[in-house]
Amino acid sequence: MTEARNRTFPARAGIGLRHSHLPEFLTALQPVAWLEVHSENYLAPGGPRVAALEQLRGHYPLSCHGVGLSLGSAAGVDRAHLARLRALYDRLEPELVSEHLAWSTVPDGGFLADLLPLPYTRETLEAVAANVDLTQEALGRRLLVENPSTYLQFREADWDEAGFLAELVRRTGCGLLLDVNNLYVSAANHGDDPLTPLDRLPLAAVEEIHIAGHARVTTPAGELLIDDHGSAVAEPVWVLLAATLARTGPKPVLVEWDTNIPELPILLGEAERAEASLRETRDAIG
Amino acid sequence: MRLAELQRRMGRMLLDGASDPEWLALLADSPERREHRLAVHRNNVRHALLNVLEAAFPVVRQLVGAECFTATALAFIARHPPHRPALYEYGGNLPVFLAAFRPLTELPWLADVARLEWARNEALFAAEQEPLTPARLAAVPVCELPELRPQPHPSVRLLESSWPIHTIWDAHQPAGGSLGAVDLERAETVLVWRQNGTVRQRPLTGGEFALLAAFVANCPLAEAAGVAGEQDPKFDFAAALARLLSDSALVQQF
Repeated sequence: MTEARNRTFPARAGIGLRHSHLPEFLTALQPVAWLEVHSENYLAPGGPRVAALEQLRGHYPLSCHGVGLSLGSAAGVDRAHLARLRALYDRLEPELVSEHLAWSTVPDGGFLADLLPLPYTRETLEAVAANVDLTQEALGRRLLVENPSTYLQFREADWDEAGFLAELVRRTGCGLLLDVNNLYVSAANHGDDPLTPLDRLPLAAVEEIHIAGHARVTTPAGELLIDDHGSAVAEPVWVLLAATLARTGPKPVLVEWDTNIPELPILLGEAERAEASLRETRDAIG
Repeated sequence: MRLAELQRRMGRMLLDGASDPEWLALLADSPERREHRLAVHRNNVRHALLNVLEAAFPVVRQLVGAECFTATALAFIARHPPHRPALYEYGGNLPVFLAAFRPLTELPWLADVARLEWARNEALFAAEQEPLTPARLAAVPVCELPELRPQPHPSVRLLESSWPIHTIWDAHQPAGGSLGAVDLERAETVLVWRQNGTVRQRPLTGGEFALLAAFVANCPLAEAAGVAGEQDPKFDFAAALARLLSDSALVQQF
């Protein structure tokens, strides 16, 4: 079932669909190969945004990117939320469905609206693997899990992030959504080489790639990169994308832009540049 | 530290801004870096939720000013974080919070304006349903009309306030009315609904409000008209019904 859907998904550049760009999409279909939406923005029973997505869905391959399931929660994932996602995915039939290697929900039930870091320990692996198993079963789909941007690291660790993700893929059969900007941001924040994880991640499981802009801030304790999706993709991230594609081969590449959202042509321009990178990858492979 | 405990304690630090030295000692990052890096997550949580509240309550924000709104919203977020990840549902209890929030008791109408904005938010995301059209109503046999039970569209919200909440709201729209038109002595009832994908609102007469309230209570047409007439001697039933139909504010329940 899942493979049949995935086979038709284009190894091309897509953009994240944002509310401010809906009028242009509804006036005329825009030149982009596929769209991604944040699932939680479309859980409402009705209204113009849901209607617009249902209309556009017929014209574009679709990836649904969850930002609230909290796969890293020790308390497990929220089954009511899973059921709402399932109903949405049954209606939209997205070719790709993803969530993050992070947590967002506090055990007493509060949702913190951020992607929070995990210690990469055995206990965490048990929790995340159980949550991924439950999610894949409840959704009836293969889930792609995205590597996060991190600012903090825990002392206690049985794996580094790449090793943890490799173990998760092996145990659950989930796929990977490889966020190249997150690789870059995390490596910079922890003083690592962003190429190192590329050699350690299970790249055969990658079904989708993300790129985005990040911010550079100065704190009294040094410079920090923040994954704010609020600007054009940075030059070193384009370089890292090319290095990634050289290893994975052409994959669907998504340009994310969520804050300080620009005019649509600027976002489409970023997608064109990602297309060019994909073309170069194909040419290099021959 | 077990994962559940680690998450509970980090969640507390993010919401109330306090520091937890024992938790921070779990980090591999150098001690001077820890607070600055934790601050990234504090800002993410606050900004994400603040953006949701700013989008849902733009007039409340204008009424109190951006700075006061941010401080009030952060106090609300710390006390009432969202319970579910679907953030279009977040903010429904801000009106109740505002009514009891001491620094703002000088603005007694504020909580009701917030109720109106929340009603607009609910109307935007309510379920779709085919409206009852004049043509469909005309097709109902005359003898069945008195017993017909029209229902409000799922997006319909009815608000009753001791304050002129519609007029206050309207005076804070780009092409809205003037603040001079606001008479704080006047109570208003307001209909909020969605038509063709756009949220609309208008003040109601006593008769219109009684009619819609009767429809909400599942009263048949004839009875609802009677109730509205008793409420408001000048009530024009035919005109009120025609307007509700042209507003797409009713649906038919068979």
